[in-house]
Parts: sequence; C-alpha cells; structure tokens
Amino acid sequence: MSLKLFTITFLLCLGELQAQIKDLSVSQISPELILNANAVLRDDQTTIEVDASNKMTIYKIRSVTVMNEYGQRHVQAYQYYDSERKIKKLKATIYNAAGKEIKKYKQKDFKDRSAVGSGDLYTDNRVQYLDHTAQSYPYTVVFESETKTGTTVFIDPWQPVSGYYLSVENSSYSLLNPGQIALRKEELNFEQQKISKNITPTLLEYNLKKVPAYKMENLSPVLDKFVPMLKVALDEFALVGVIGQASNWLEFGKWQHDNLLMGKDKLPAATLHKISQLTKDAESEIEKAKIIYQYVQDNTRYISVQLGIGGWEPMLAEDVDRLGYGDCKALTNYTKALLDSQDILSHYAIVFAGEERKDLDLDFASMQGNHVILNIPLEEEDVWLECTSQTMPFNYLGDFTDNRNVLLVKPEGGEIVKTKAYAYTENVRETFSKIKLDNSGSYTAEVKRKSEGIPYGNIYHLIRESKENQVLYYKNHWGHLQNINFQQIFFDNNRDDRRFIEEIKFSGQKLTSKAGNRLLLSTHFFTTPTYNLNRSTDRKLPFEIERGYTYRDVFEFQLPENYSTESIPEEEMIQTQFGTYKVKLEAGEKEGKNTITMVREYILYDGIWPAELYSEFYAFMNKINSLNNQKAVIIAGT
Amino acid sequence: MQKISPILMLLFLISTANAQDFKYGKVSREEVMEKNHPLEKDVNAAVLYRSVRTYYEFNDSSGFILVTNVHERIKIYNKDGFEWATKEVFHYKNGSSKENVTGIKASTFHMVGDKLVEEKLNKNGIFKEETTKYQLSTKFTMPAVTEGSVIEYQYSLRSPFVTSIDDILLQYTIPINRLEASVKIPEFFGFVKHTNPRSPLFFKIDEGTGNKTYNSTSSTRPEGYTMGATHTQSSRINYAEISYTTSKDDIPPLKIEPHVDYLSNYAAFLKWELQYTKFPNSPIENLTNTWEGVTKTIFTDGGYDKELSRTRYFAKDLDKHLAGETDPLAKAEKIYSFAKSKVKWNSYLGYRAEAGGNKVYKDGEGNVGDINLMLTAMLRYAGLEANPVLLSTKNNGIPLFPTLKGFNYVISSVELQGQVILLDATEENSSFGELPSRARNWNGRIVMDRERSDWIDLMPKLPSTNSFTLNLQIEEGQNLKGKSFNVFSGLYAKTYRDKYKNIDLDNYIQILEKDRGNIQISELETEGQKFGSEIRESFSFELPEGIENINGKLYLKPLLFMAESENPFKADERFYPIIFDFPSVEDRIVNILIPPGYEVESLPESTIVQLNNGAGTFKFIIAQNGNFLRVVSNMDLKNIVYTPQDYESLKKFYAQVVEKHAEAIVLTKS
Repeated sequence: MSLKLFTITFLLCLGELQAQIKDLSVSQISPELILNANAVLRDDQTTIEVDASNKMTIYKIRSVTVMNEYGQRHVQAYQYYDSERKIKKLKATIYNAAGKEIKKYKQKDFKDRSAVGSGDLYTDNRVQYLDHTAQSYPYTVVFESETKTGTTVFIDPWQPVSGYYLSVENSSYSLLNPGQIALRKEELNFEQQKISKNITPTLLEYNLKKVPAYKMENLSPVLDKFVPMLKVALDEFALVGVIGQASNWLEFGKWQHDNLLMGKDKLPAATLHKISQLTKDAESEIEKAKIIYQYVQDNTRYISVQLGIGGWEPMLAEDVDRLGYGDCKALTNYTKALLDSQDILSHYAIVFAGEERKDLDLDFASMQGNHVILNIPLEEEDVWLECTSQTMPFNYLGDFTDNRNVLLVKPEGGEIVKTKAYAYTENVRETFSKIKLDNSGSYTAEVKRKSEGIPYGNIYHLIRESKENQVLYYKNHWGHLQNINFQQIFFDNNRDDRRFIEEIKFSGQKLTSKAGNRLLLSTHFFTTPTYNLNRSTDRKLPFEIERGYTYRDVFEFQLPENYSTESIPEEEMIQTQFGTYKVKLEAGEKEGKNTITMVREYILYDGIWPAELYSEFYAFMNKINSLNNQKAVIIAGT
Repeated sequence: MQKISPILMLLFLISTANAQDFKYGKVSREEVMEKNHPLEKDVNAAVLYRSVRTYYEFNDSSGFILVTNVHERIKIYNKDGFEWATKEVFHYKNGSSKENVTGIKASTFHMVGDKLVEEKLNKNGIFKEETTKYQLSTKFTMPAVTEGSVIEYQYSLRSPFVTSIDDILLQYTIPINRLEASVKIPEFFGFVKHTNPRSPLFFKIDEGTGNKTYNSTSSTRPEGYTMGATHTQSSRINYAEISYTTSKDDIPPLKIEPHVDYLSNYAAFLKWELQYTKFPNSPIENLTNTWEGVTKTIFTDGGYDKELSRTRYFAKDLDKHLAGETDPLAKAEKIYSFAKSKVKWNSYLGYRAEAGGNKVYKDGEGNVGDINLMLTAMLRYAGLEANPVLLSTKNNGIPLFPTLKGFNYVISSVELQGQVILLDATEENSSFGELPSRARNWNGRIVMDRERSDWIDLMPKLPSTNSFTLNLQIEEGQNLKGKSFNVFSGLYAKTYRDKYKNIDLDNYIQILEKDRGNIQISELETEGQKFGSEIRESFSFELPEGIENINGKLYLKPLLFMAESENPFKADERFYPIIFDFPSVEDRIVNILIPPGYEVESLPESTIVQLNNGAGTFKFIIAQNGNFLRVVSNMDLKNIVYTPQDYESLKKFYAQVVEKHAEAIVLTKS
C-alpha cells in the first residue's frame, strides 16, 4: 500500500514538474517536427492507476503547440464525464510562442454541456471543455485532468499520433497495477517507431519521441492501420457496476450475453400471436425472417437514449414492442426475440459502423464497436439485418457495415466473423440511353439506369423524395447537361433483388457545340465517376480502394435530320491492376437516321497498393478523365 | 343526375371541416386513416391542429408568472415524417430563475385492425437536460408511431421572465391545417405585437379587453414584477386584461430553397415587445416603441457612454502606434488594424460589451460588443468622427420593427470626407471598410449619442473584382501550356483569405489542380495573401490534351477551367428573393498564340447580354490580331437582391453565360 502511494506521488510530482519546467517556446521544437505540422504534441503523459478491478484513476497532461488554426483540433482540452466517471481536477494553461505563460484556466472556467450527439435523444454523458480564443499562432496549451471511474472495461489506449498533420515530440503512457490484476495488452504498428518500454508485474511504461507529422494523401488508409497503438484490457473488470471476467472473445462474448443480453427477450402474447399468424404460410425460414423484418420496419423507429448501463445493454423487447422505438441494441434484440419466437436462430452482432471500414480486433478481446446488427445463420447463407432502418431491404448492409469483423454474442460465447463483402462484380451500375438530337443541339433522352450492391444503397432513397426534389437531384447529378426538363421520372425499387431501376425521359439543349458548319458531340453523355487525384511526386503512404465497382453504359445517339458522322473517337482499352476501361464507338444507321453508338465499361477493383504504384493509378484515372472529353464531329449535308 | 346546388355543397364542405374535434384526445378515425394531405400531396407530416395560449397568473408568493399552453395534433403520413414524433422544448434559466415545462400529456393514435387505439406517453419517456448554463431542454418522443399515426400532445411552459413573451410561430415547414393562438396580458404590461411583413400570409387578430380580479390574502410583500406594495392582510385588486386572438385554416408549409438569406425571415409569426410597464402607484416606465427608443435603451443599458469614453487603458499604446500620423484616413486604417491585433473575437455575439474594453484589451479576447465599442472609442480618441452601428446578423433576421431583440450585433463607423465607412474589428480577414457576411444584413442603426440615431445601409455598394488572365500556347499532341495571372480584390480577397490564408503552397497547388482535368501547375507565386487590399497570384501550367484534335482540326474551348460550366439556378420556380453576397465583376481574359501552320476556321460570336436593364451585364468578346486571339469574358452583377419575379431572367442570363463559355474555337491547317 505504501509502495503504491509512493509510486503514484512520485510519478505525479514528476508529471507536475515536467509540465512546468519544460521550455515550451516554439524555438525549442526541432525543424523536422515543424514540417507539415498544424500542431505539435510537445508532451503527453497518460497515467492510469488501477486501484481495483472496479476502480481506477486517470491522470492526463497534454501539452500541444498549435501552429495554425487547423491545429486547434489537436488541443483536445476536454473531459467527458457521467454518473460513473467523475472529474477530480481540470485545468489549462496557455503559453505564447516564446513559452511565456499568458493565461490560466481553472475547472470553473471550463464550459459544461451535454454530450448529446446528433443521433441521440438523450444521454447522461456530459463534457467540460476549454473555450479559448487564440490571440496569435503559434501558442501552447497545457491541459491537465484527473478522473476517477468504476468502469474499468474501457482502458484508454495509447495512440500518440492521433491525427494527420500532428507531430509528436514526447508521449508517454504508464499503467500502474499494484494489485497485479491479470491484464492483456496488444502493441500495434510498433515496428516503425523507436518505442521504449518498461514492463514489470505492477507497471507498464511506454515512451515515444520525435515522430514527424504525417501528411494526408489521396486514398491513404485509415491512420489506425499504420500508427503505433497500445491497447490494454483487464481480465477482471466492471462496467457501470456490472463486473466481469474474460480474456478472449469467447469469454467476453459469454459475459456480454449473460449480463447484458439474456432475459431481455420476453414478448407479449398478443405480439407472439400476431407474428405466428403473419408467418404461418411462409414456407422457409428465410421467408419467415423476411416477414418479421418487414414487421419490425413497419412498427418501430430509431430513437437513441443512453443512460448508465442502458448505454451498453438493450431495452427489454417488450418495451420496444410497446413503445415502437429503440436504439440499435434495442431494435436488434427485439428483432432477435421475434425470430426466436418462430424458432429461427439469430445472433446479436457488434460492429464498428461507418463508410470507412473498421474491424473489431480479432486478436484482442475488449469492449469495442459502436453499433449492433443482426446475423441469421441460415443454411444457404448468412443473412444480415440492419434493424435501425425502416427502408433498407432484407439482407442488405450497404457500406455502413459491410465486409468487416463483428462479434457475434452467442449463449455459448463470443465469436468473431466477417460481414458480407460486396465484390466489384456485385456493385453494378448500368445505363442505357437513347438520345435524339436536332440540329440546334437540343435533344430528347430516354435513360434507363440499374443500380445494385453498394450503388443501390446510395440511390434507393430517391423514391421517397418529393417530385420537386427528384427533379433537383437529377439537375445537380447531371449538372453538365444544360436546361433539362423532365417528361418522366419512374422508379422500380426491387427490394427482393436489391435492385433499383430508374426510367427517366427528359429533354435538354446544347448537347452539341457549334464549330463552323460542324457540330461537336460530347459522346460521354454521362461521365464515369473517377477519383480526382492530386499529382504526387513524393508519395509516402500506400493507397486503398475500399470497394470495387462495375459501370456499364450504352449511349445511342440519333443524329439530326441530314447530318452524318464525320469522325468518331477511336476505340480505347486500358488494362491495369487497379481496373479496366473500355470504350468503343460505332457510326451506323437506324430507322433511316444516322446514329452513333458508344459502349463503355469501367471496372475498378478494391485493394490496397504500395505508394510506388500511385503514379500508375494516377495515370489510369487521368486517362479516363481525358477520355471523358471525347467528341464526335457531325456535319450537315452529304 | 340531379344537380347539387353550390350552396348545399358549400354547407357540406363546412360541415365536414367542422366535424373535426380538436379537444384533447378526440382524435378521429378519419384523421388516422387519411393517406395523403389533401392539399400538399408530397408532405411527410402535417399539423392538424396547433393551439398556443399565453396568459399571466398571479399568486402571492411569486407574483406574476407567464404561462404558455401548447397543444398540437400532428399527422404522420410516412416514415420520413417520424422526426415530427419527437418534440424538444427549449427553456431558459438565469441564476435561480428558470422556466419550467409542466403538465406534459401526450398520446399516439393508430389503427389496430379497424380499432382506433391510443397509446399514452409514459413519464420515463420524458427527458430533461441542462444543455448549457442558460439553456434547458425538455424532450419527449412518442410511443408506437407507425405510418399514418396521429400524435397529440400538450404542455405548459411556466416562465418567471414576465417581460418577455416568446415568439409564436404561425408557420412550419409542414402544413398547419388549423391554428389558434391567444395572448392575454394584464394592463400593467404594455406589449405591442408584430407580424412578419415579409410573409405573404395574413392573420386577422382580434383584440379585446376584459376585467380580472385578484384576491390577495398574503401579508408578505411579493417580489419581482408585482403590483406594488400590498401591506394589508387581504386586498382585492381589479385590473384590465387585453387579449389578442387569431386563428387560421390551411397554412401552407414554408418552402426550403437555396440562396435564401435566412428562411425564418419569410415565416409567419407573432412577436411581442414590451413597451412600458405601469404598476399601480408607480409612474409609467417607457421602454421601447420607436427605433429611437430602442436605440436609447441599448445606449443606456449597454453602458455605451462608459465604453465610448474610457480611453486610459489604450491611450499610451495607441499614441505610440499613431505617432506622427496626421492624415485622418491613414489614422483610421492604423487604428483598425491595431484594434484587430490587440483583441481577438471569441465568437460570441451581442451589442453589449460583455467584459468591457479595458478588460478585453488586457485579456486579448472579447465579444462583438467589447471589440467594436473599443474600436469606436479608439477612433474617437484620435479625434475622428466615429459612431457605433447596431445591426442584426443574418440568422437573427431582419430588424423589421422596433424591438430590442431586433439587434444582436454592433459594428463601428468612421466618417471621412463626408463618407461613412463601416468597420468590424472582429473579423481578421476583413480589410478596412469591409464587413463579414454575417453583418451585411440590410440596414443598421448608427448611434451618434443617447438621443440621435439613424438608419444606415449595410450592403456593400462597391463591386468586388476577380480577374483571371491566361496566356496560352498550343503545343504538339493537343497539349496546352500557359501562364495564369489572377487578381482578387475587395470581398473576393477576403473570401480567398478566409480559405487559403495559412495554407502552404504545396497544398494550395493541389487545390488549384483539383477538378481541372490533368493539369500540372508550377511556379506558383502569391502576393498579398495575408494583408493588403488585393491578392495577386500567378502560375505556369501544362494541360495535356487540353485541346481536341479531330481530323486535323483543333477545337479549343478558350476559357478552359475558368469557364462557368453549370447554371447555379436549377429549380423551376422560386418563392423567395435571391440574394448574392456582394456586387461583383468577374473578368476572364485569354490570350492565345495560334501555332505556326494553323489558321482560324471559326470563332464563337461576340455577344453582350443584359440582365434586367443593366442590373447585370455579360460581355463575351473575341478578337483576332494576326497570330493572336484575345477572348474577353466580363460578368458584371451590380444588383445583389433579386425578387422571385426576376428568377426566370436570372436563370436565363446564367444559361447564356454557360453556353457561351462552352463554345469552341476551330483551327485548321493553313
């Protein structure tokens, strides 16, 4: 006990001393750390003292020199708190560029507000934050906080390089574990960096010095994939008063199941009866599951209330049944309970949701994820359900939760599996257009477009928009077409096949431009979606395309009366390891009129490629961009 | 078939309209069964009934309190209307005084089979939170909402802030089928009401007077806004109560459109402004009823006298800064940049000096009032004719009638050679005489002293100029090579600085290269990026395949990446005025050297297009001089405000610009 006290006091004193005696003037920063840096992490000390498996204290000192306005976000002088996590100390000191102290903020000077996010109705989380106006740049903020919490299932990880354009002068992390509670740790991306460490049965200590800022580059992978990170988890832990023990995903999943999930699946008899009636004629499990999912979509909506332990466990299924709403946990658990009632097995699945893919860490069991979906392991295939959406088709995840590790919380324990990946062959967008031109450049067009896979998820919402907004959508989407007027907008949302079909008729002007007595016709009626990339001579990071696509287009132009084709662009075919692009034009005749038909196919693969190949990819995109400007020449007479 | 007389039909219509019962809880089967709104087919939800009743309650312990009862019945047509099933009421607190939301009662009505079912809101579905130090929020979300549900709720807002009656909204972004509002005010409070003259909706407001009696049984003397001394054990007080009532059917939704200054400027509402208080045995206290009165109140309550006359804290520094300067304009410019460098804006609005000039001068940060009153004091100290100008920021709406809430911001002004120049030292990137966008909102009130004030136009009058020049050379293999010279002045320079002031050149090149085909930019130089009246930039570039070579003919769209390629106006109709940021002139000039061995086959025609008799002009002129071609595109927009009636011509004007910019020059082998 006395030893523990001594160590802490010693460390804290050291911390205080360092925070004060360090010369914070900007001239002390070495030049390589200034390069590309919007902010410099001068000194960052996290000390976590684990007093017991349900008690810990977190001390933080974070000194950040802000080089310019873009560096403000790295200051991070805020502290979240709630009924579990109490703030014991909070202060900040501001220094000017010369390292001279210019202002002090005590805890009462921090602003306090609710931490309700845009998607929440209510949460008991609050935040105290520093509201400081910079007088000039650069300047330095030294932020100090001390918090105590009984929830030990989350231990702050150590990630010194927490963003682009942030360089690190000194960062250290210590975890004091005098009770020697069993713990696990994972060191990620340590290879590239010089990290010093000191590990004893009661202490973990890490230190990193002098890491220059990373510059953001087009398509670079998420930061987590290449910057160092230390994760720590206790094998004995507590979550808002619920204690647990786990050292792997099997045990961790089991704990979640038994403590947070089990027994929340009871449903009123009336609902059970209704569901039995609705599904009684369905022939297969998948048919029944479909009916149940539709029932959930028709009778619930997403409302998020996060209160205490309620932030981590679902509401009772019977409450969702009565109220008709819930958050992702509640709606998933409710759907699962309805499926259970028809003897259809399903699993609660925890995931990191977001368009930017993020996996649950297969090798490190801890509290992870920010969303819950439902998995139904059917014989034919695994079905995945997003239970918070009232409009998504059955078994469609889209880019919110596709292709990533999730934790299935099963009665027998946890299991990490991967959600559905949408291959480039499934992410298809096809158009077929007939365009009739007249000699003034005006035209009428009939367009049919089909979207499947990821493109489906980006378009199907259009059907629910007002007519006015639909028209505006197309006018913006096809902004390169002038003065267009719509004669028909028709949609077919095939939810069973997850396919969206648009049939659009419109007229417009100035598709051709005049050049003397000839007309120039831009043959790429719609252009292909390419990446607009920066030329880069000195690429540092690899580049990643998270999802592949297939785009096929046919444009059939009917030329104006008495016009014929003078020239058409040549056939092009590009094959690269990133994808392929083909375009072919043909002049012909149909129903007594001259025509030009263009067939185009563009495939982009998903993958991750080393920095050296970037210029090749850049060239590929550039080639496509310039082909987008192709023109045919048509001429009157003859 | 028998004809039904029109009168009978009318009667029939009236009777169906009246068939709806708006008593709380009396939701009908028809309301729940309705599939679409009868008038606005596309809406996701509609307010079937909205009632707001405001009145004063008196009791001995707390004196008057202001009570507002709200009752709304809302129809949800589809899933996109679910957002209307969650209600958030903001209320305020100031120290120990706070507004309370009480008596929340709410239900959802939906059909189960052919039965109409009511689902009540539970207490644990109501959430109260302290959003910030001054703002509380009460939220509730309705249970069992599905497509077609009708929800109904009522609550009371009880406020100790009796001199401030909240705005009553009379229009939403969804239709309101039936609206009723009433406000009853004791004679002790002289409120005046205002409707929004910019809303085309008319509300007939009935006024009446009634008598109220209050029996006081208390012996303690009430606090706050009360009726003066009540020493007796019991007393009987008679007073008059003025009532305002209005009602309306079928209020259309407020349309959402781009390029609108501030949507709420066009919504129908009732605003209330306290003009005087007149308690028994006390003289009338006049507050505001004219703009002069408002200005005077602000001048007095805002401590303007003190803020404008206090000079000691800056005098020494300023003397040093101005040493030897005698020219008034130069002095004013120096003071403006001095004030900007001394105190930075902390993002808080307000016409009041929150901390006071002397304090913020030391601290280096302050609110709008602190900074611009300090600036005015400095200008006056230097012997210049300087005055504060009160105004309303864009998202506070336009000051339409004399209320204290009509203003929320103050700037400074200085008169030089008979010209009034407006100054705002909160905005780092504003040059002398330029206001930030938030402050460029119609008219402000220039305040000479406690008694004298006047309107002043805040909209920029001088055009800001952008000029782009390209010198182009055509190389082998459809490549273009050239040099670009650009000048940004006025508010274009400010916009540039807001975006790029601190960016490093490498990143800026990447921005310049974006969306410009396969361009490669080099030798970028900028001048005046941080300070000064204009910014000059130049760069060299190469644009592979910037020109089309088809059958030996070269096709070139001369403006390249400088062309206006899309019409910014896309919607078919327009309901609200179109407001541009500032008057502007955009020049795009291209000089082309015709490559040896080629000659001009055809050129786009030169043209001049006028918009609304000179409100705007577009000139496109192309001239050949030996081997040189010169293309000049000039767009001059003098007006910044256009009415919805101007929309068609504005849209056409832009269409012509886009069209002209897309035309190609054709060169053939000579």
